[in-house]
Amino acid sequence: MNATMQKAILASGTALMLTMGAAQAFAQEKTLTISVYALAQDEYKQLVYDPFEKICGCKLVVETGNSVERLAKMEANKANPVIDMAVVSMADALAASRAGLIDKIDTSKLANFNKLYDVAKDPNKDGMSVGYTFYATSIAYRSDKMKIESWADLLKPEYASHIAWPNVTTNQGPPALYMLGQALGKDTPDLKAAIEAVGGKKDEIVTFYEKSSQLVQLMKQEEIWAAPIGRFTWAPFTKLGLPVAWATPKEGQTGGMNVMIMPKGGKKSELALQFMDFWLSTDIQKALAEKFVDSPANKDVKVSDEIANNLTYGEETAKSLKLIPSATALDQRAGWVKSWNEKVGQ
Amino acid sequence: MFQNRAEALALALPAAIFAAAVFLVPVVILLSDGFRNPAGGWTISAYIDFFSSPLNQAVFLRTLKLGALVTVVSAVIGYAAAFAIVNLEPGMKGKVTGLVVLPLMISPVARTYAWIVILGRTGIVNQAFQALGISDVPLRILFSETAIFIGLLQLFLPLMIISLISALENMPKDAVPAARVLGANWFQVFWKVILPLTKEGLVVGGTLVFTGCLTAYITPAILGGSKVLMLETLMYQQVSVSNNFVAASVIAFILIVMSFAANILLKRVATARNKQRRAAA
Amino acid sequence: MTVARSLFIPLVLFLVIAFLIGPFLIIVAASFSAGETLAFPPQGFSLRWIAKVFTVESFRASFGMSMFLAIGGTLAALVLGIPASYALSRYKLPGAEIVRTIVSAPIIVPGIIVGLALLRYIVVPFQIGITLALFMAHTALILPYAVRVVSASLENLRSDIEEAAVLLGSSRLGAFFRVVMPNIRGGILSAFILGFVTSFNQVPVSLFLSGPGVRTMPIDMIAYMEIVFDPSVAALSSLLALMSIGIVFAAERFLGFSRYV
Repeated sequence: MNATMQKAILASGTALMLTMGAAQAFAQEKTLTISVYALAQDEYKQLVYDPFEKICGCKLVVETGNSVERLAKMEANKANPVIDMAVVSMADALAASRAGLIDKIDTSKLANFNKLYDVAKDPNKDGMSVGYTFYATSIAYRSDKMKIESWADLLKPEYASHIAWPNVTTNQGPPALYMLGQALGKDTPDLKAAIEAVGGKKDEIVTFYEKSSQLVQLMKQEEIWAAPIGRFTWAPFTKLGLPVAWATPKEGQTGGMNVMIMPKGGKKSELALQFMDFWLSTDIQKALAEKFVDSPANKDVKVSDEIANNLTYGEETAKSLKLIPSATALDQRAGWVKSWNEKVGQ
Repeated sequence: MFQNRAEALALALPAAIFAAAVFLVPVVILLSDGFRNPAGGWTISAYIDFFSSPLNQAVFLRTLKLGALVTVVSAVIGYAAAFAIVNLEPGMKGKVTGLVVLPLMISPVARTYAWIVILGRTGIVNQAFQALGISDVPLRILFSETAIFIGLLQLFLPLMIISLISALENMPKDAVPAARVLGANWFQVFWKVILPLTKEGLVVGGTLVFTGCLTAYITPAILGGSKVLMLETLMYQQVSVSNNFVAASVIAFILIVMSFAANILLKRVATARNKQRRAAA
Repeated sequence: MTVARSLFIPLVLFLVIAFLIGPFLIIVAASFSAGETLAFPPQGFSLRWIAKVFTVESFRASFGMSMFLAIGGTLAALVLGIPASYALSRYKLPGAEIVRTIVSAPIIVPGIIVGLALLRYIVVPFQIGITLALFMAHTALILPYAVRVVSASLENLRSDIEEAAVLLGSSRLGAFFRVVMPNIRGGILSAFILGFVTSFNQVPVSLFLSGPGVRTMPIDMIAYMEIVFDPSVAALSSLLALMSIGIVFAAERFLGFSRYV
């Protein structure tokens, strides 16, 4: 091989290394990496992230996605966690704790901890998570097209072909099935009766949704008239210019609580705790409530009646929600998915 | 031709080593995962598990069916379109080819997104159907195999048309007129002259379209959703929701086998026709 | 027959092109809508969604990421691919078929598998960053196109001119840069454009390769659509398409891009 040829190969190799190096040179400053739901990121940025960055003099790196997908990623990165704190559903927090992915939270470092509603202080009774918001799950429906008085009304022959139902793998899926089971008078933890009822209508039901945002478009296009949703996705439906109402079925509403967790082996626990405390503080929780982003878990937050009406506000409301206990959710999940796939999936 | 082997290797190896390290080795490990048991031995039990689930069977058959259907339909439309394009005057031909290529420059996300509006209950397709009296009530097209079929066809038809254009252009100019003079009708011309002479283009286009259908994620995800799963959306679900990497590996292997099988099958079909022709001659 | 044929051609072309281009036109129209959701015909006219695209911070970040991947990945693929193509077309390379198969393999295997394999067996065990993983994946993905297009233009170039240059005393490398390169410039540029567009629109490979703050443009668009179904994604799609079309049009205009692809 002649010398020039060698040089050329060397040069191209170097060029390649340089481009790769440039790729790596991102984000070397002090950062806190958080993993959150993708909802309302504009509001979060304005109300939570930007103010916190000013206080800590650090940069927030935000990963967004739904609870299940982000948990799967935490599992994949178990050996070398890339995030410093995450917010997930209560059941997913318990799943993470059982999988050994998370650490206990040192609540003595959270100045605002004692201001939280009791239900939010340690939702799974294992010291591994702290609740920061809760929400009701009920049915958003076209009040001009249908009347919803019970969860079972959704499956009425004249309605079933105009509804979307949450897929069993989403956070809204099991609670909706749980309420349907109550309406059918067969509320066993395996949700068998409810899954069978949905399966019986699987050809009529428009879609088994995984992303609740899609429902706004589907409602607008009159693809659907109703769907069980979490209160946190309610706001866009009110802007459609259509008569969309929030049902109060006789069986009651279900819902969920979202919690903060810290991955095991995270390198920035002090900073993560500082951020969590900031997020739980009265001012921030109030600001988020006033923008209809999150219902407060901090009992010092007082909001006007008008705002309270659009949220899941107050401890009484929180207590009235019919929640599936995390442990039940976790123990049953595989069975639910299995019977769902058998009855609904095909 | 230069003879220096060392030089040749020095030039070619960086690319080959890179592709092998980044691509081949990880993919092979991933595929082998599906054949391992927890003790580290070899087994096909994951495949038996996979195919014993009625849901997985349905998803597998649906993927096969939609892939084949899209390939066949795109070949039929592709021949008509490519034939029309090669018969245009040169200036026009460039412009029309440009329009056919154009969609390839546009993000598949955007192209799929559009179908939600078009195929919806209040979308233009349903409006047209109702105006023409084809249907009184809006049809439900979204979240069905039909929607996925339309989305995939639109995504990959350009690949078929382009492959067939170059095949038709390489065909001897007088083949078709000669056959016509000899009294062949258009059906015979296509079957006996055009098809055998353009089979390479058909194989290339067919492989691209079929493989494309197996690779597309976003179209089945948006237009089918969890109600109408295909192998690629099922695989994503297995990884991101169930953390089941063994099942994902099984699906990966099935997808690769399917795309290779399609390629071989298409080549076979093409050569079989060729032999027939030779036998006839 | 002639009448039928003269009708047949325009009709087929009209239908096919309407099918291929129509959805895109609807997206463009929807970008100018004044309404809150994606709809056709658009409700009113406004530029608010086009304006909104530029205010969404994650779009700016993911656009930068995709640009970096598309340009950097394509350049890296060319740096690897041009010598390989040269070796394949000009040398008696031992195992040429194996090399050709390896470098073109990424095109055959579904992208979703490539992404997953990289995540599981490169990113996690070697603890490399997601950005680097994306860069490697996109380079591997573009490599087959680079080799194919550059090889094609090398095949069209007679090899005796560089042999003559070598005989006349030029070094092999000198002959390559002075004689071969100027003649395959168009091919290289075509490979670059093809690689750029392929990388920029790539979804499946990048699907599993996203991390905190790191997302490619199409993945970010999907993520955005999962949260908000407003016409800003339509507006963004239109702007991106305009960019791709502009690049291809300029390349065609000045270099006759379509001769090479």
